[in-house]
Amino acid sequence: MTAAPKAIVIGGGLGGLWAALRIADAGCQVRLFSLFEVKRSHSVCAQGGINAVLDTKGERDSIRQHIVDTIKGGEYLANQPPIKSMCESAPGLIRTFERMGVTFSRTPEGILDQRLFGGVKNRRTCFAGASTGQQLLYGVDQQVRRLESQGRIEKHEWWEFLSLLLDEDGICRGITAMDLRSLEIRAFPAEAVVMATGGFGQIYAPKTTTSTNCTGAAASRCYQQGARFANAEFFQFHPTAMIGTDKTRLMSEAARGEGGRIWVPRNPDDARPPHSIPESERFYILEEFFPSYGNTVARDEASRAIWRVTRQMGLGIGGSDRVYLDLTHLDRGFVSKRLGAILDIYRKFAGTDPLSQPMEIFPAAHYPMGGLWVDFEPDASGGMRPGSLRNHATSILGLYACGECDYAYHGANRLGANSLLSASFSGRVAGESATNYLKGLARATAEPSERILTEEVERQTAINRRLMESDGSENPYRLHRELGELMTSKVGVVRANPELEMALAELQTLRARLGSASLGNSRAWANQTLSFTRQLGDMIELAMVVARSALERDECRGAHYKSDFQIRIPEGKFPGDPEYEDYRARWKANNDRWLKTSVAEWRPDGPAIRYEAVDLGVYPPTDPRDYR
Amino acid sequence: MQDWIHLRIRRQDGPETPAYWQEFRLPYAPDQNVVSVLMRLREHPVTIEGTWVEPVAWDSNCMEEVCGSCAMSINGVPRPSCSALIDDLAQPILLEPLPKFPVVRDLLVDRSRMDTGLSRVKAWIEIDGAWDIHEGAPRISPAEWSENYLYSRCMSCGCCMAACPQYGSHSDFIGPAPLAQVRLMNAHPTGRYDKTDRLHRIMATGGLSDCGNAQNCVRVCPKAIPLTTAIGELGRQTTLQALKDLFGRG
Amino acid sequence: MGSAMNATLDPSQFLLRRLHSLLGLLPIGAFLTFHLWENSQSRFGAEHYNTRVVATLQEMNYLVFVELFVIALPLLFHAAYGLAITGQMRAELSRYPYARNRFYWLQRISGVGILVFLLLHVGTTRLQGLWQPAVRDDLYGHMQGMLSDPLVFGFYALGLLLSVFHLANGLSTMAIVWGLTTSARAQRLFGYVCTALGLVLGAIGIHGLLGFLP
Ligand SMILES: Cc1cc2nc3c(=O)[nH]c(=O)nc-3n(C[C@H](O)[C@H](O)[C@H](O)COP(=O)(O)OP(=O)(O)OC[C@H]3O[C@@H](n4cnc5c(N)ncnc54)[C@H](O)[C@@H]3O)c2cc1C
Ligand code: HEM
Ligand code: HEM
Ligand code: SF4
Ligand code: F3S
Ligand code: FES
Repeated sequence: MTAAPKAIVIGGGLGGLWAALRIADAGCQVRLFSLFEVKRSHSVCAQGGINAVLDTKGERDSIRQHIVDTIKGGEYLANQPPIKSMCESAPGLIRTFERMGVTFSRTPEGILDQRLFGGVKNRRTCFAGASTGQQLLYGVDQQVRRLESQGRIEKHEWWEFLSLLLDEDGICRGITAMDLRSLEIRAFPAEAVVMATGGFGQIYAPKTTTSTNCTGAAASRCYQQGARFANAEFFQFHPTAMIGTDKTRLMSEAARGEGGRIWVPRNPDDARPPHSIPESERFYILEEFFPSYGNTVARDEASRAIWRVTRQMGLGIGGSDRVYLDLTHLDRGFVSKRLGAILDIYRKFAGTDPLSQPMEIFPAAHYPMGGLWVDFEPDASGGMRPGSLRNHATSILGLYACGECDYAYHGANRLGANSLLSASFSGRVAGESATNYLKGLARATAEPSERILTEEVERQTAINRRLMESDGSENPYRLHRELGELMTSKVGVVRANPELEMALAELQTLRARLGSASLGNSRAWANQTLSFTRQLGDMIELAMVVARSALERDECRGAHYKSDFQIRIPEGKFPGDPEYEDYRARWKANNDRWLKTSVAEWRPDGPAIRYEAVDLGVYPPTDPRDYR
Repeated sequence: MQDWIHLRIRRQDGPETPAYWQEFRLPYAPDQNVVSVLMRLREHPVTIEGTWVEPVAWDSNCMEEVCGSCAMSINGVPRPSCSALIDDLAQPILLEPLPKFPVVRDLLVDRSRMDTGLSRVKAWIEIDGAWDIHEGAPRISPAEWSENYLYSRCMSCGCCMAACPQYGSHSDFIGPAPLAQVRLMNAHPTGRYDKTDRLHRIMATGGLSDCGNAQNCVRVCPKAIPLTTAIGELGRQTTLQALKDLFGRG
Repeated sequence: MGSAMNATLDPSQFLLRRLHSLLGLLPIGAFLTFHLWENSQSRFGAEHYNTRVVATLQEMNYLVFVELFVIALPLLFHAAYGLAITGQMRAELSRYPYARNRFYWLQRISGVGILVFLLLHVGTTRLQGLWQPAVRDDLYGHMQGMLSDPLVFGFYALGLLLSVFHLANGLSTMAIVWGLTTSARAQRLFGYVCTALGLVLGAIGIHGLLGFLP
């Protein structure tokens, strides 16, 4: 047998492991890169669950409904064929996970249990206790280990992807990566590369629920080498995160799904302990704002409601940025069983028991809907054509992207429990596309010329050398904190153009200051500051894309909210009322103007944004979202 | 109320170099854990004597005690550092790399031996391929589920291994965590097909019989994995397996 | 390590360990129990002990075989392999001051203690009797003579207690090794049973020791 064509997968979260599995299954040799042991990837943090229509609860749930919920949840901004294919594949993915041994929670009959999640009305979320992401990741991790033991996958853990090897035609021919221990930089030629490097919540640190390694640096590097970056302005803020100084910890949506209620005392100066405040003096925020959905309203609405109550109405507990997430009215046994892991997290990190005292929470940067721009090929049925080379291909030939680092499935806002699904599904699709790309390549593709490899390695080594020798005054970790504060306050839950402009200017300053960063750390062995400083530079580039895209988009859509451009539903008016119809017309006009994917391209002086039409072939927008 | 957070950190520049201690003092702040303090420290890495030193290297990711990366020895006991609340710790707080694993640098260790262990015991379900076969796994009762679930939460942090008096560079013992995964895989409706193979693997050198029932593992496990129950159940499974081997019913 | 392991799934270590475990109970543990019960008859005085207990045993058929194959060889094997196991221990008692960890350590230390005790004890009883028939003929007197010395008495008491602990704790770990007790609860309950057993055996042993005192 001739040597199997080589593929590289970067990232060992759900997306990357699925891609690696799929490529290896097809008989191609895979090299898998990750910053750390793959099973420590951020995917383990997902608690709540993964969506798939199994319709086992007698609710006549349908795949069509899942598609519509996803499209509407994202306010129509996502291309619809990929969504259609994803929702259709979901049940099969779940079955495959189950075969891998994932310990999904069971009904008394022994089949997969399903529960309710934010933003939808049917029970379609599979879960494994309260550690779904962990269980899913371990399921694929074990399969990858199996293939590794057969020599079909080669893991490079503790290696950081630094750059793409691009040949004269701009085609991706491999990568350079750095051994995080020896700091050795090496070129790894490959015929196809899949990015699965996760999200970039760390640009909001510490007000983010993401892991400390979710810097987005890898995607940013591709962007700086010419890959397009789409929909960066859409960053979901999770409404319920417990405040912390290292990071804010997510209290899963399941807490609301299982009956948790969000409230504040009507009187912000009420100093009584929460349980002694009578019902009549409690303001149940979401139930009053959204009577028909109540506490299970979509995340962005919930985040803004909390923001409004605390920041605008000044009703936060004791006047601060905190509200209660209350589980104390629920049956203790039931809550402990269904939400055990969340309760543990809260007890562990806050020191109080949510079963006897309400939790204190606030919105935090959670999930970027934006990411590397990826293509798809529609088929006649309105879905994504299976096996097409174009699916999940980035704008660089030979480079694919999947998981949280792509932009494909969530439009302007992600539906709860849809991203474990999109990460797994897109990983599988990207793996298939990359395989087909590999197989379709002319047998005689020459190795990339030695010159490309050595030049790129030399370029990367020079960056390291410069950083190691620099003796400026800036501490990169402090710069990172400044970046997070800047993004949280100026490019956060609610946005305004003057602030965004200031943010862009300050980002430029940060970029300049990073130039005089000092590592205070000279040893060329496992030098974490070196790799962090490099990542910080890439985070700033990405933050610029976020701020720039946010500045350009003058509307409210999903997670992107500019109060100056809000088109309000007329109070007390319903379809048929002239005021409502007028509102509907304005909503349509706004869609004509803004229902477009924003696509950023790297320029030395900052990102250039342009817009691209969205494929609305499955379920075109007819009605605005109405949660009343 | 204390005014300071006082740390004593065992440092080591590389795998082959000698270890040394450094002390640090940071202003007290509420709601801190060991990782958040280390994060503050790297912004201003100055020892108690006022010397600027290189930032401490350590490993962390999720900050929710679910990724397992941040385990280290804190006041002598191996545990995840992200969930070690400063208010609960006696000062000065002693931070050392996770025992038993080769030090890479400072508090950063190499845990690849855990992975080797998992491969060794075939801690996976043998499936035909990661495609949909339009059929899930057979049913599992909620009671069986809840037992299995306990084991599926092992995050390979290595605390149990660090605390095990039988585990370390001096022995071949694969340690308690991979053993517990054998228990888990053997209970899965499909995983059962490879039960005999897995049992033979843990009946070989460095396997189950190297456990001496010290049971530290179960005491230090942050995820409360019932490791000693797994060890007992594997004891039973291997007893039966040995009998089967002996009487020819492999 | 991993690949070597795949090549040969050598079960010898497993089998030796199980043999070691089994021998600890049968015959060694059984012998110890019998031996202590036997010696507890010291309270009936020299006459009874020498004729009814010792002599009856010494008249047994194939006594040498029994002593060799039921006592000496199993004990030697158990001790030798036990020493090898002890060599693998890296106990850190101050770091992990849990009861089970202490027992784990004590199991090994007591094993070494028993070995020392046995060398002297068997040397001064059974072996000495080989070339000093007087010792054989009046074992009661011989023991009484030795045990009258408080130092020897203390040494015996210690050897006895170590042996009894070793057997009782050994039983509780055996139950895990063989898979009799799996849940934490079962292990705890069986631990109580073993403790009770140890206390009874200890009492019988001490009683026997006291019976030799003039
Ligand atoms: C707290 C929390 C809870 C969540 N809960 C849910 C939920 O209930 N349901 C749901 O559907 N979704 C949930 N999500 C979202 C979901 O977990 C993620 O979107 C998904 O797991 C992302 O998977 P991924 O494979 O894309 O990336 P990740 O799991 O983040 O993996 C990224 C990988 O890339 C590697 N990597 C990154 N940079 C480099 C580099 N430069 N070089 C080499 N390797 C690199 C890393 O090592 C890592 O292996 C949650 C997210 C958070 C933050
Ligand atoms: C209670 C205190 C004890 C007394 C009074 C005692 C007494 C004796 C005597 C008198 C003999 C000689 C028997 C003979 O020669 O026929 C003997 C032999 C022996 N004892 Fe003890 N013993 C005691 C405790 C122990 C303990 C704790 C052990 C440990 C396991 C032990 C192990 C043995 C062994 C192995 C022999 C040799 C048996 C043989 O080969 O027949 N004894 N003991
Ligand atoms: C009176 C004589 C002895 C008796 C009755 C006895 C009995 C036992 C028993 C029942 C066990 C439990 C086995 C298990 O856990 O599976 C055991 C374990 C052990 N014995 Fe002994 N033993 C005796 C003497 C010795 C001696 C002389 C040594 C060696 C120095 C020794 C060393 C050990 C060790 C190290 C273990 C622990 C094995 C493990 O847990 O892995 N024993 N013994
Ligand atoms: S069993 Fe517990 S202590 Fe051991 S690796 Fe797993 S989670 Fe960590
Ligand atoms: S601590 Fe070690 S000796 Fe056995 S019971 Fe646990 S593996
Ligand atoms: S950082 Fe993941 S366990 Fe502590």
